[in-house]
Amino acid sequence: MKTNMTPIISALTRQRGVTGSMLVDEADGVIIDATLHVGMKGPAFAALAASLYRKARLSADAAGLGGVTFLRLRAAEGHVCAAGRNDMVLVIIADTRANIGLIRMEMLKALERLTT
Amino acid sequence: MISVAEPWVEAPLKRFVDDARVMFALLIYPSGQVLGQSGFARAVDVMSAAALAAGIHATVRELGRTLEGKGFRDVFHAGAKRRVYLAEATTPRGPCLFLTVFDDQSSLGLVQLYFEELRTALAQAKVQAPTAAPMLDENFEAELNRNLAMLFGRAPGRRHITPTS
Repeated sequence: MKTNMTPIISALTRQRGVTGSMLVDEADGVIIDATLHVGMKGPAFAALAASLYRKARLSADAAGLGGVTFLRLRAAEGHVCAAGRNDMVLVIIADTRANIGLIRMEMLKALERLTT
Repeated sequence: MISVAEPWVEAPLKRFVDDARVMFALLIYPSGQVLGQSGFARAVDVMSAAALAAGIHATVRELGRTLEGKGFRDVFHAGAKRRVYLAEATTPRGPCLFLTVFDDQSSLGLVQLYFEELRTALAQAKVQAPTAAPMLDENFEAELNRNLAMLFGRAPGRRHITPTS
């Protein structure tokens, strides 16, 4: 189902190496909107990614570092990137070809548009 | 602490509680037999939760049939601090209800994720065929009381395990 957020979220998947993007409710860990490649386990990934982001945010807060602006998880075959604001988390799944610097910039711009 | 009435429930329920980080979990047959519980300290609390879960499930099932022609499969309620998730599962001995309560240490997405694993584990559990006739709903209270005595009392078959953190 398309929402008014769909164009912003799907635009992120046009970046090289990005295989999926989703906007997730941080507290509930459920998908608000997503564009994913066929076969990806969206709900499971959303729940775990939101939990990961939330724990990172709480860790940064406990360490007195302030809010988390951007989270990057590097795995053997790709990356998971997350950025959050207003109880929502924007999550990207990308393979090793991805330009993380460019993706980070596009994610922060997208998040700005999604939360204003 | 987890206590179970039947040993094949123990491992899947413990895994769910450890993974999903929920505060309470309760698995019952619609007849009122308690299969297992985690987090409840008093039998009266299990009794209340089981009775309310059965009532909510019956109500929601009929509401689903009215609206969509088939019963809703799960229910979620978000409170100010705690959230409740109620869903159906199937065991080799028939359908059962699963009730869990969680706070902000977990999330709906995580509970649903790990509940699917629990549902699969319960459906595939190796258990003996039922030895008794199917319980009737009118025996709900008697069955509930008998199982609470087993879980919290000194009746044979009581099992307790402590979840690891």
